[in-house]
Amino acid sequence: MSTFFSDHLLSIMIAVPFLGIVGLAFVQSRWWILSTTLAVTLVSLALAVLLWLGFDTSEQGMQFVERAQWMPTFGIEYAVGVDGVSLLMVLLTSMLPPLCVLASWESITSRLKAFMMLILLVEGAMLVVFTALDAFLFFMLWEVTMIPMYFMIVLWGGPNRVAAGLKYVIYSLAGSLLLLVGILGLSLQADTFNIALLAEHEYSAASQRWIFLALFLGFAIKLPMLPFHTWLPDAHSEAPTAGSVLLAGVLLKMGGYGLIRFCLPIFPEVATTYMPFLLWLSVAGILYGGYMALAQSDLKRLVAYSSVSHMGFVTLGIFSLNNEGIQGAILQMMTHGLTTGAMFLIVGQLYDRTHSREIADYGGLYKRMPRFVALLSLFAVASFGLPATSNFIGEFLILVGVSSRHFVFVVLAMGGIVLGAAYMLWMLQRVALGTARTEAARQLTDLGSRELLTLAPLVIAVLGVGLYPGPLLEVMHASVTHVVAQFAAVLPAP
Amino acid sequence: MLIYALIPLLPLLAALVLGLFGARLEAYGHKLVVPAVTAAFLLSVALFAEVAANGAVHIHLYRLLEVGRLQIDAGLYIDELTVLLLLLVTGVSAVVQVYAARYMIGDARHSRFFALTALFTGAMTVLVMSSNLLLTFMFWEVMGLCSYLLVSHYGERDNAARAATRVFLVNAVADVGLFCGVILAYMTFGTLSIPEILTQVQSGPGIPAQTATALTLCLFIGAMGKSAQVPAHAWLPLAMEAPTPVSALIHAATMVNAGPFLLVRLSPLIILSDVGMAIIAGVGATTALFGAVVSLTQTDIKRTLAYSTISQLGFMVFLCGVGAFAAAIFHLVAHGCFKAFLFLSTGNALAATHRRFDTPRPPQAAPGSLFLWALVLSLVPPLVVFSGAYRSLWLAQGFSSASVALWVVGLGTVFFTAVYLYRGFSTVFHHDVTGTVPGQRVRPSPASAGLVLGLAGVTAILIAALLVTWQWFASFLAPALATASLSSDAQQPAGMDAGPSSSMWLLWPLLTGLLGIAAAYTQARRAAPGSEPAWRKRLYVFFLNKGYFNELYDSLIVRPTLNSARWLWKAIDRDIVDRLVLSLGAGSVAGARRLGRIDMAVDRQLAGVGSGSVVLARWLGRTVDTGGISRTVDSVGRGADVSGHAAERMEPRTLQHHLLVVVLWLVAALIFFYLVAG
Repeated sequence: MSTFFSDHLLSIMIAVPFLGIVGLAFVQSRWWILSTTLAVTLVSLALAVLLWLGFDTSEQGMQFVERAQWMPTFGIEYAVGVDGVSLLMVLLTSMLPPLCVLASWESITSRLKAFMMLILLVEGAMLVVFTALDAFLFFMLWEVTMIPMYFMIVLWGGPNRVAAGLKYVIYSLAGSLLLLVGILGLSLQADTFNIALLAEHEYSAASQRWIFLALFLGFAIKLPMLPFHTWLPDAHSEAPTAGSVLLAGVLLKMGGYGLIRFCLPIFPEVATTYMPFLLWLSVAGILYGGYMALAQSDLKRLVAYSSVSHMGFVTLGIFSLNNEGIQGAILQMMTHGLTTGAMFLIVGQLYDRTHSREIADYGGLYKRMPRFVALLSLFAVASFGLPATSNFIGEFLILVGVSSRHFVFVVLAMGGIVLGAAYMLWMLQRVALGTARTEAARQLTDLGSRELLTLAPLVIAVLGVGLYPGPLLEVMHASVTHVVAQFAAVLPAP
Repeated sequence: MLIYALIPLLPLLAALVLGLFGARLEAYGHKLVVPAVTAAFLLSVALFAEVAANGAVHIHLYRLLEVGRLQIDAGLYIDELTVLLLLLVTGVSAVVQVYAARYMIGDARHSRFFALTALFTGAMTVLVMSSNLLLTFMFWEVMGLCSYLLVSHYGERDNAARAATRVFLVNAVADVGLFCGVILAYMTFGTLSIPEILTQVQSGPGIPAQTATALTLCLFIGAMGKSAQVPAHAWLPLAMEAPTPVSALIHAATMVNAGPFLLVRLSPLIILSDVGMAIIAGVGATTALFGAVVSLTQTDIKRTLAYSTISQLGFMVFLCGVGAFAAAIFHLVAHGCFKAFLFLSTGNALAATHRRFDTPRPPQAAPGSLFLWALVLSLVPPLVVFSGAYRSLWLAQGFSSASVALWVVGLGTVFFTAVYLYRGFSTVFHHDVTGTVPGQRVRPSPASAGLVLGLAGVTAILIAALLVTWQWFASFLAPALATASLSSDAQQPAGMDAGPSSSMWLLWPLLTGLLGIAAAYTQARRAAPGSEPAWRKRLYVFFLNKGYFNELYDSLIVRPTLNSARWLWKAIDRDIVDRLVLSLGAGSVAGARRLGRIDMAVDRQLAGVGSGSVVLARWLGRTVDTGGISRTVDSVGRGADVSGHAAERMEPRTLQHHLLVVVLWLVAALIFFYLVAG
């Protein structure tokens, strides 16, 4: 491996999707557009895996750091690097786009090139968000992710796409405005945009609370936490399959990542003060999201509301403020990306056949589509955290983490798991079992080899992480321990 | 030692291979599963010899996860309790698979069935061998999933579909209790390793009684689900929707045995809590009697058997609750053997007539050989257990009040068991079916009949052996159990002599059992029903409807939950939050109208950029005019043109979009500004 390559591995990885966009401009036929995009995303994935292999798990700080002056007058740099938390998010971000391309292989019929460009744009922007060491760079690319998502929803979405897109933009803009205020508030006092230096600065007591709140709200809207969640079901259900996968799989995680990267290290005292309230809010989100999912008659909305519930688990883990909780939350973010991504992919495959998302239009698929039903069942049970699948490990760690705060959170969060089992199995019962309720459902054909190929990596990942999560936990251990260390002084040991 | 890891691995691998390539192996699934499970059984026998000679074995497999203090090792811990259950699980499972190989011929989901039964068996073996509570819990739930998938085997039937969901949900609710227990155990002991927890409990500083009670109750809630204790029992009869061999598997080898196993496995812990033990005994006794009475009233033979299992499980749990752990395991093993036989033989009869039986008609023919077996089998296990349990209790001392309860519950269960088994079997095996399937006699297929009889023979020998060797059984199991006093007493002949001889205690249950048969016989001979008093009819209807538990679940839990969820969604998410946000949107649109001029300017800008890029592209095309590239660049220009106007072509074209465009341009301008400033 040449030194240039290994020194700039991270930048090269980030550059690949953007170069892919340029490359796509020169490609004509449908097949070439698709396979070029697929190749680009696979190269990006390969580089991410290389990054993983070269990652030193004993190191707690940033690795593969690259810095270059950008706007020296404002102290803004192009600075990227990964620690354990970033690396896992990078892996997730580069794993899903190839599947999105495969999922769009036939279902996107108009403006294919633009769609593929948007996928690559989202991927590239998110890679920067998860690796940025500079708050301004972080914020800028955070904004950039919003734009392609908006177009994906509005140009390729379902019947209510315009309203859904509008709602998404209103929420996102409100969130990023608060985020901008927060980041400016930080950097005005600390006089830098370097995230590591921001964390070391002592902020005036009066401003701490307000800056924390601004940042927290910005991230909470993206995540989304309970009162800010209504953009999510609309956006997820109206977006085309690839859009839903990227939204649920990766975009939401920017919120959780931001909480861990900004809110916790910079304001440990404020986070500790608000902890009980935030834990209650998280539990409320878990139960409320599950309850809402139970009421849905639309497959994609059901999955979307289940995301709200799962994100409740993520914040529950993060605000446990201990090693188990935060590692569980990060793992939960990853595995939620895998299982919910898979749920949207598989529901999308059904939608491609009948163009209906209504649960009531199906039934009895078990007979016509045994492979589809087997995979749908697997991802459904993985989604509510059946043991031996990936989500279980995350939920278990989160529950162990929060048990050191108060046992009541554990009991209530378990209610969310039961609700999860209820809505998923009830959905399965109505979609897969029984007798077909429409003529269309009687004519369905089972999954083809391309569709199986789309889902196979996720099956392996879901079961692999569920039975052997060690390698992933090892990656983030040092970094999370570093984040948690400062809470040890503030909080009693679990 | 590591070779014993193959006991769970072989069935699990068989399941994996079948799951992946099942479509190609269609109708040959059993050729993979039967050898795998049989090999697992043979290994279990070897392991049994090993443990009998050298005591408990601990095999470390791999580190499942490690987060700071929390370290979970996937490992196997095999002691006397484990090997006994392993023998039962793999043995019964192997027989069931052999039986199913014939039973499932021609089934459309042949390989699915065998993949799942192999997974089921594998999961149960991991469960009994696990050295870690988390691993135990993981496979505890995997078994729940297996039962769900197997119950939905005939998923196109609406009944099966509904039953499957309910089976899983009842288990899921109960499993939450166990999950709480696992986390509570970690909080209490700082580890989830079962051997470490047991040592801490037995020789550690001791844990507060309240914690012990909380832990016991959490674990017991989990056990209640898997072992179908009232009120979480309703799933077991529903699980009858699965093919008959699955019932044999669930009732005899896997699943329901997990509950008593867990209680006995952690017996040193639960015995610390008096309250917990009392509750366990109470629930167990209720279940034993309730199940027995309900099974009397059921007209479907499979449902009769389901409630009889519930009743027997209740008895096992009750035995755990009064501290007779060895007796509970003894009953578990004996019950496993005889229930497997009952199901397989029923399956034969049912398969032969292709329909289910209604049993209220009086028996017609003279008893045959199977009938005799049924009678013998119905009585022997409770008898043995009874004597064993009572002896254990008597020896343990200090359980005098419990022993009265034991008398009542035990004799009651024996009585009802005898009654319903007599009634059920006298009908099933000697039923005139000319009315339903003309010309066909109820006769098991010869090969399977041989198998069933063989199994019956093995069972009988086993039970006889166990009856003779109860003493051996109890002392063999003693190292794995809580009641250290028991084993020490068992080794002191002097302590035993202090009590009445066991043959005396055998007499009472035997008499009760015969009384039960006599009662059933006279009942059957009696004239047409209808002369009973009203309260008896009401009681009958109550139990006929299984105590209305299903209806209670529906009206108290299921429907209110669904309705309130729908209401909440409409009332809060859509009517309040959404309206708020959209009015915010409308507000900004109104604001944008006032800025209409900017809006127009932006429109012009947008068009300008669009045409600008076209011009640029044309220029590029002229400059780099080399065939293909020029065409490509031209299309880029067209693409830019298209995307430039994309916002305008959005339907419906509303002010909101212009607002959006403004915002996007502001962001872009901001970026541009910063770039220039830098």
